[in-house]
Amino acid sequence: MDSPTKRRTALTGMGVVAPNGVGADAFWKATKEGVSVLDPISREGCEHLPLKVAGEIRSFDPASVIEGRYLVQTDRFTHLAMAAADLALEDARLDTADGSPFAVGVVTATGSGGGEFGQHELQRLWGQGPRFVGPYQSIAWFYAASTGQISIRGGFKGPCGVVASDEAGGLDALAHARRGIRRGTDAMVVGAAEAPLAPYSIVCQLGYDELSRSADPARAYLPFSADACGFVPAEGGAMFVAEEESAARRRGAPVRAVVAGHGATFTGTAGWERSREGLARAVRTALEDAACAPEEVDVVFADALGVPEADRAEALAITDALGPHGSRVPVTAPKAGTGRAYCGTALLDTAAAVLAMEHGVVPPTPGVTDVCHDIALVTGLARTAELRTALVLSRGLMGSNSALVLRRGDAPT
Amino acid sequence: MEPLLTFAELASLMSSRAGVAIDAAELERRSDSAFTELGLDSLGLLGIVGELENRHGSVPSGAEMCRTPREFVELVNQSMPAGA
Repeated sequence: MDSPTKRRTALTGMGVVAPNGVGADAFWKATKEGVSVLDPISREGCEHLPLKVAGEIRSFDPASVIEGRYLVQTDRFTHLAMAAADLALEDARLDTADGSPFAVGVVTATGSGGGEFGQHELQRLWGQGPRFVGPYQSIAWFYAASTGQISIRGGFKGPCGVVASDEAGGLDALAHARRGIRRGTDAMVVGAAEAPLAPYSIVCQLGYDELSRSADPARAYLPFSADACGFVPAEGGAMFVAEEESAARRRGAPVRAVVAGHGATFTGTAGWERSREGLARAVRTALEDAACAPEEVDVVFADALGVPEADRAEALAITDALGPHGSRVPVTAPKAGTGRAYCGTALLDTAAAVLAMEHGVVPPTPGVTDVCHDIALVTGLARTAELRTALVLSRGLMGSNSALVLRRGDAPT
Repeated sequence: MEPLLTFAELASLMSSRAGVAIDAAELERRSDSAFTELGLDSLGLLGIVGELENRHGSVPSGAEMCRTPREFVELVNQSMPAGA
């Protein structure tokens, strides 16, 4: 085996299940065009709640892609993760039946686990009594459920883990997969998908001051603008197949991107201004890890929380870490059109970043017209640009900050 | 006397409680196979025991430890005649 630092992590497969599209092609088309799919919440039992707008996935039928036992035994967040994992494995054309089952590991991140399944069982608990709670509650709600079920379903017995480090854990999961590959695992199925739109899950989020209460889908989530009034939650996420680069090339798999660097910090919950320093530090760490100069960053996928002081902290962090280049480099936040799927968000941004580099196109930030911070936020139409290096940023409501540097892979054929 | 639990009922419970689809005739034919081979894990069997307890008040102890459908059906029916 090569020394750990020589084992580079290539992304060879991508599976997206997002409010604006299931499958990478549909997702990219909507993302590139800056389509917003934010809409009034249509889930039963949510009518009376003060949260009015969300990013729902309406074109996903779990029964069409997942076997009956997983439908009954797992939550929607796991259904979404399994569907995304299938798409990623198919995209990578990774023949997992051929090699050792110990060569493939799984890592996911989640912020809340299986709320819809949990709500159903809690209703049985309070409506009928403890004897009516099904045993699958014990595993279906759990943070590790998606990792475990993807591992069982695919027969992946390599290193498996779950990252529970707040929203930014989505990027930390990719870093964890990279560590797995450095330590000798051939391939990792990695990502995150969340399903936080059951009534119970929404009630759990109502305590967040950052949650947008706007009932107008066109005004509810406008990051970096003077009208920023919080964020809109969403469901969905993405899974990737990450492989040791030379092993991927030996089997002839196209390398879509390389995970080149990562940094993570924690700045707590005592005010968003603190995330400025934490995020800047995460970016510097990620750049150093990637041996990447600030000027090499061709596009930034921002965290874009949509809370004025958080947006301000992020804009300052970008220029703190990238210097004068920070106010020139294109920054974008496609999530303004889909909402934030907690840990899934940064994976959707990672998918968008890979697609952006492949197509040489920076997708716009849907809905935003005025930008009141000193960054070059891409609004309106997508912008054509040669993109070799992308920086993805993510913050969590509990104070985690992460940055990921991606390098372009092979030219698309 | 009608047995309390038939293979058809067990098949139906496997589907509703654990999402394991198997028709009654096949379950009866494979009634000496381990539940795990039929796709039912220990939590699934526990859920079926819970459902039977809720319907009938009690289920003999050890039911959740049965390895095969035949063992399970026989234990439940021996200890719990219909109407109990």
